[in-house]
Amino acid sequence: MTDATITTAPDLIAAAPELPDVLPPVKVRRGVVGFARRHPAIAIGGALVLAMVFIAVFAPYLGTVDPTALAPTRRTREPSAAFWFGTDMLGRDIYSRVLYGARVSLTVGFSVALLASLVGLIIGLVSGFVRWSDGIIMRVMDGMMSIPPILLAIALMALTRGSVGNVITAITIAEIPRVSRLVRSVVLSLREQPYVDAAIAAGTRTPMIILRHILPNTIAPMTVQATYVCASAMIVEAILSFIGAGTPPTIPSWGNIMAEGRALWQVKPYIVFFPAVFLSLTVLAVNLLGDGLRDALDPRLAKRL
Amino acid sequence: MLTYVVRRILATVPVMVVVALFVFSLLYIAPGDPAAVIAGDQATPADVARIRMSLGLDRPFLIRFSEWFWQILHGDLGTSIFTNLPVATMIMQRAEPTLSLMTVTLALAVSVAVPIGVVAAWKADTLIDRAIMAFAVLGFSVPVFVVGYLLAYVFALELDWLPVQGYTPMSEGPWPWFQNLILPALALGCVYIALIARITRAAMLEVLQQDFIRTARAKGVGQTGILFVHALKNAAVPIVTVIGIGVALLIGGAVVTETVFAIPGIGRLTVDAILRRDYPVIQGIVLMFSFVYVLVNLAIDLLYTVLDPRIRY
Repeated sequence: MTDATITTAPDLIAAAPELPDVLPPVKVRRGVVGFARRHPAIAIGGALVLAMVFIAVFAPYLGTVDPTALAPTRRTREPSAAFWFGTDMLGRDIYSRVLYGARVSLTVGFSVALLASLVGLIIGLVSGFVRWSDGIIMRVMDGMMSIPPILLAIALMALTRGSVGNVITAITIAEIPRVSRLVRSVVLSLREQPYVDAAIAAGTRTPMIILRHILPNTIAPMTVQATYVCASAMIVEAILSFIGAGTPPTIPSWGNIMAEGRALWQVKPYIVFFPAVFLSLTVLAVNLLGDGLRDALDPRLAKRL
Repeated sequence: MLTYVVRRILATVPVMVVVALFVFSLLYIAPGDPAAVIAGDQATPADVARIRMSLGLDRPFLIRFSEWFWQILHGDLGTSIFTNLPVATMIMQRAEPTLSLMTVTLALAVSVAVPIGVVAAWKADTLIDRAIMAFAVLGFSVPVFVVGYLLAYVFALELDWLPVQGYTPMSEGPWPWFQNLILPALALGCVYIALIARITRAAMLEVLQQDFIRTARAKGVGQTGILFVHALKNAAVPIVTVIGIGVALLIGGAVVTETVFAIPGIGRLTVDAILRRDYPVIQGIVLMFSFVYVLVNLAIDLLYTVLDPRIRY
């Protein structure tokens, strides 16, 4: 008796439009060119950073002389064929000093990014997992974040002897709170995920949950954050050296060269100019790399910012 | 509402105690012997001992901290090793130029950054937007002293439009005062403008997608009205928040800007204190600026309820 109603049903279904057998292939360029097309910021920033690393590593072979060699007879020479970037007040070759200066900036930038990420990761994980410690740790971080980072670094440097290691320590301490906060917020949101609940319900131990479920998910935001920490560390290092609280004057660093050119900048602007250009370009490159990574790793955030 | 205000004000007390504790314990965290470093390379053991005593490093941490904190509560930031003047007095003497620089920078940055951020959001993904955002990345990347020297070179040395360096007190007339502050404020404001413009754009993009914007458009509100009245009002909270957070950049940048433009303010005092290894002065300045920063952000938190009446506590 229901046969009649059943047989009419197929007639009501509209036929789906016929699809072509083969869909036209989506053109995706592979290889380096394709990657650069899709992520221009990563390509440009990355290439510039690599160029700076190359300069820093091979500084002795790029037509440089001893960057600390004094030559009182040829002080403050304008840039020329013999002295590409000119010479400073003590007759030192600025081209050589700027190239060797890349070593300090990159060492400080990379070391601070690495150390601050590591320490921040540990603090953030503890804060996110050990409930009773969260309140205390976050109050301390709030306090540290209330101190402007440059001032915190200045205060630390005033208490230690100027050395690259101490500069790295000082800037790392100033950067830790921001990384910790980021890791903590990621941990707290991941803890609410169903798969973490499932893992807990299945009896997975906390260290294993951290290793398998939490850590992999912190890598993307931490990588992006690390590039910004690196850029900011290079600026702070230059500022510290510029005001005489950073790298000791015996080591050529971009901040030091600019500090030495400060007294003469109105008559000999090139002394300040060349390290300034290198510093700005390097920081720009790292920032571009960071923006590119952010867009590539977190498209949701990229749309908003 | 009142309970919220009281609670929020009370909540800053522990933050300030933590700041004070942290700034104080720097003396103990710092690697090596701070007394020997402050005394300098030519110091005799007697000098080192004298400095250790004046810093209180010879007494237990907690006792020394409570004494020091008690002094701070009474407005005593300690005494300079170099000039023997109270640190609070030294800061007050230098406060006017720094305060002027920061106020002008803040006003300039907000009045430039918010409109360009709004325009970038309105013209999202066009050439104008791209240009503004490219400028923002540049603003983040070029350090404040580089911008400072560039501006001073172009506008003071080459074009001779503005004074190269120095500071004129407010008492000598507002125009000379302002004229001397234009270039430093522009240099210091660069990062700040980049930061605010970026957040303004992001906040505006979010608001512009909401229903009430379509309603406003449907009832015939003009583009300017939609952007600056309907949308900007609703995007105000994140913008104001980042203005508050960015004050830390202003404080750090002021130290450098004052050095580049030879402004005799608190930043210059900091640099002089570094060169003389006058630690009490540095400590006092760090503490003072940190408290100012906490208070600015407290004020902004309280402002939220005014800006967005939907926020109820």
